[in-house]
Amino acid sequence: MIQDVVWSISIILMGALALVFIWVATGARAAIANYGPVIDSAYRLRVWLFGAALIVLIGTNYKTLGELPYINTLPPLPAAAVQPVQVVAQQWMWTITPNTFKVGQTAEFQVSSKDVNHGFGLYDPEFRIVAEVQAMPGYTNVLRYTFKEPGTYQVLCLEYCGVAHHAMQAQIKVTDH
Amino acid sequence: MTMAATAGRSAISPRAAVLSYLAVSGIVLLLMMLFGLTMRLAQAQWISVSPDFFYVVMTMHGAGMVGIAGLCSAAVMWHFVRRHVPVSTAVFLTNLVFFLIGAVLILGSGFIGGFGAAWTFLFPLPAHSMGLWSVNAAAAYLVGLIFIGVGFLLLHLDIARGILSVYGGLGAALGVKQAFGLTDKAGPPPAVTASTMALIANILGILVGAAVLIISLVNLYVPSFTFNALAAKNLIYYFGHTFINVTIYMAVIAVYEILPIYAHRAWKTNWAFYLAWVLSTVFVLTVYTHHLLMDFAMPTWTLVAGQIISWLSGLPVLLVTAFGTLTVVYRSGLRWNPAAALVFLGVAGWAIGVIPAIADGTIAVNSVMHNTQWVPGHFHTYLLLGMIAMVLGFMTYLTNPQPRYGFAWLGYWLYLGGGVVFVLAFLLAGSVSVPRRYAVHVAQWLPYDRMGSIGAAFAIVGVLILIVRFFVGMRAAASAQDPSG
Repeated sequence: MIQDVVWSISIILMGALALVFIWVATGARAAIANYGPVIDSAYRLRVWLFGAALIVLIGTNYKTLGELPYINTLPPLPAAAVQPVQVVAQQWMWTITPNTFKVGQTAEFQVSSKDVNHGFGLYDPEFRIVAEVQAMPGYTNVLRYTFKEPGTYQVLCLEYCGVAHHAMQAQIKVTDH
Repeated sequence: MTMAATAGRSAISPRAAVLSYLAVSGIVLLLMMLFGLTMRLAQAQWISVSPDFFYVVMTMHGAGMVGIAGLCSAAVMWHFVRRHVPVSTAVFLTNLVFFLIGAVLILGSGFIGGFGAAWTFLFPLPAHSMGLWSVNAAAAYLVGLIFIGVGFLLLHLDIARGILSVYGGLGAALGVKQAFGLTDKAGPPPAVTASTMALIANILGILVGAAVLIISLVNLYVPSFTFNALAAKNLIYYFGHTFINVTIYMAVIAVYEILPIYAHRAWKTNWAFYLAWVLSTVFVLTVYTHHLLMDFAMPTWTLVAGQIISWLSGLPVLLVTAFGTLTVVYRSGLRWNPAAALVFLGVAGWAIGVIPAIADGTIAVNSVMHNTQWVPGHFHTYLLLGMIAMVLGFMTYLTNPQPRYGFAWLGYWLYLGGGVVFVLAFLLAGSVSVPRRYAVHVAQWLPYDRMGSIGAAFAIVGVLILIVRFFVGMRAAASAQDPSG
């Protein structure tokens, strides 16, 4: 899952950066009298680091911005290929119609709210988030998702909405073909 | 260029005023950390707390931490910028008074009125309590925030007045000409550049925040007066993001000023330094849409910009401030003491926290990690182990005229060790989709909560030691000379 990739990359980069700080901190006591050459070397290294950072920045943004979840950036699908789903949030319940699907079916959740801000968080049967979108009064946010495995999916509220926020949950059933 | 502060009509010396800020900050910081620990213990099911009380504590923790972050980092900024421009001690103390009035109102709204709409008070939640808090309780909270905002507005305006009187313009004080190679003249001192950035961003942010606070207040008493929820969210995050982000940029002045003293090396302010600050000013004012990546109704270009600016905003932090810190310390002969170690840690925490923050600012990642515990994971990394470390370093530096380091070193290592465990527990939990802001957790989330609770407890003991040491040293420091001479 993308979360595992993000965790792995983040912890490696965070650890590497921490090691650099530890290395410099533990070596600080050994003094180099002439600071000038240190600065010159550091500036040269920084140019290389800037170049590397720019390549990573451009590459990652180019790759990730090509696959956005927003409905206006997704290719249109024939009406028969999409199941529209009405999702209405209110303190502290979800009304989801329909709420049963088949594996491989593409749903377009039309998410709105009757009162305050909520967050429609779709959890797969392993209880990991696979998609989410905000539910706002006055707006209908459309989230497209294709179910990949059978089981019971959970819908959790992912925007704090008051004292029963944690209890605002619903279920979606997904069956085999 | 060095200039004494104008004492104004204040009978309190500038140094005592700074110490007052830090004393209030230290006490409130500890109290808010205990609120945070309460939440983690409740989620870990090691203590029993009702959900309505949990969310009150959560609201107080959020508002209190954001407020105290502003207060203590403003003390750092004011202490150093007053060496270069005339500022008013009376205005500085007025901000503290406004803060305390606001804090009383906010604490009353929560612990007397039961207000628990989170510190972000997302419109129209304050008016939708479902009977759990009154309109007056919500109003007390919003008015409390307005008091705090007005205090900071006065402070930044006074610093702006001082800066303009010396440098003639905000561009000159920011070092715009130096940034773009338009002059060979030496640029302004780092404290002036950082203070200029802070005042530009915060004055705009506070005015936007005041607008949405007034809108929310009117809505409380006149429900027929409504406002677009998405527009309100934009205003709230513009204000909230800017205010909390600026706290780091104010606190980092401590690094620029303190580390060179102990490393016996000057902090080089070349064109890259000023360019980083000019760009950071732009980024801080434009990056807030990364809080709205799951608001699909937003114009798509604003969200794409939010991602790109999130990535870009990491560059000045990593390649100028973090890199500069490493360069100043590298084989400098520095003999570590807690003050130097804390400000050094502050830069490390900030730089390291940028990595999970940038990840979260990526739309594809945000689609599965928005409002999970990944978010408190990354912001506690650069606030608890970043900004707060810089301020604790400043507090140690100010109040250590006769160094007795053993006690402080114990606090340092407990704070660092506990803090690392604490933030890693959040990040781990976020990676397995544990939502943030949940009073009740399911059994499979408990290991992360318990790991976080243990880390938080150690971090609190560490900070307690550092703050006790600060109070012990404060009496001597109040009459002592500035350690930097």
